[in-house]
Amino acid sequence: MAHPSQLGFQDAASPVMEELLHFHDHALMIVFLISTLVLYIIVAMVTTKLTNKFILDSQEIEIIWTLLPAIILILIALPSLRILYLMDEINDPHLTIKAMGHQWYWSYEYTDYEDLGFDSYMVPTQDLTPGQFRLLETDHRMVIPVESPIRVLVSAEDVLHSWAVPSLGVKMDAVPGRLNQTAFITSRPGVFYGQCSEICGANHSFMPIVVEAVPLEHFENWSFIMLQDA
Amino acid sequence: MAEEEDGQAKEFKLLGILDVQRTPCARDAILHGAGGSVAAGVLYFLATSRVKRSFDVGFAGFFLTTLGSWFYCRIHHAKLRVQQRLIQEGIKNKVMYEGTALDPTKNPKSEAPSGPS
Repeated sequence: MAHPSQLGFQDAASPVMEELLHFHDHALMIVFLISTLVLYIIVAMVTTKLTNKFILDSQEIEIIWTLLPAIILILIALPSLRILYLMDEINDPHLTIKAMGHQWYWSYEYTDYEDLGFDSYMVPTQDLTPGQFRLLETDHRMVIPVESPIRVLVSAEDVLHSWAVPSLGVKMDAVPGRLNQTAFITSRPGVFYGQCSEICGANHSFMPIVVEAVPLEHFENWSFIMLQDA
Repeated sequence: MAEEEDGQAKEFKLLGILDVQRTPCARDAILHGAGGSVAAGVLYFLATSRVKRSFDVGFAGFFLTTLGSWFYCRIHHAKLRVQQRLIQEGIKNKVMYEGTALDPTKNPKSEAPSGPS
C-alpha cells in the first residue's frame, strides 16, 4: 500500500507493473534531459549580449528543432506501445473471478468450480483492530493463488465504478450492463490494496479493494472454508 | 527529501523529479554525463578558446553522454531481468520436476535402450 505523502508508484507486485515502472523511469529520464536543455537555453538567452533584429530564418536550428522532438517521441512511443500490447495479453488464466461494483461495496464471484460469492465491505474506522489500515481494509478479501494468471471480469450493478489495484498495475471500469475483462499475475504473495476509481456517489471513497495472494494450498483451504460458511 | 526508515538509500531527486538513488542506471548515467560534459567542454575550449561556445558544447556532451549511457545501461538491465526470470522459472521447474520424466537435467543418453550384445 502507499505510505503517507507518497508521490511515486507503489512497489510492483506483477510483471506488468514492473514493466510500467521501468517505462516510467525511461520517460522520466527523457523529461529530465529536456528540462535541463530548456533551463540551459533560458539561461543562455538571458545572459547573452548578442542581438540581431534582422533574423528571418535559420535552416540549421529549424532542422534541429524538428528532428530532435520527432526522435524523442519515437524513443518514448516504442516502449510505450510495447507495454500497451503487453497489458492486453490474456494467457490461459487459471481462475476467473467476477468483480461486481455496487453502491458502495464490491462483490466477488468465483464460479469456475463451485458457486462461491461474497460481498466485500470496507471495515469502518471504529471497528479497525491495531495494525489495520484506515479506509483500506475490507471484511472479506479477494483471495487468489500466487503466480497464477487470474482473469477478472468487472461490471457494476448500479452506477459506474472502477476496480483498481495500483501495485498490480490493474484498473478497469465497472460499467452497468457491460462486462470488462482484465488479467494479471502476482509475482509474490502479499496483500495488495486499491480503491474505487470512478466517482459513484457519497461513499465512493469508502469502497476499497483488497487482493490477497497466497500459495495454492492456502487458497484451496480458504475457498473450502468460504463455501462451508456460505 | 524523505529519509527511508528501513535502511534503504535516501532518495535524492535531481530537479525535484529524477530519483538518482533508487532508479536503476540513473546515477551512472548522470555521472557519465557530467564527465562527458566536462571533457567535451574543456577539449573544445583548449582547441578554440571560445568560452561561451565551450559551455554549449559541454552541455551537448552532457545530453548525449547521459542519453547514451542511459540506453546502454537500461538495455543491459532489461536483458538481466529476462535472464533472472528464466533462471527463476528454471529453479522452480527443477524443484517441481526433479526425478520425473520432465526433469530438464536428466541425461537422455542414460535412457537410450542398449543395443544387441
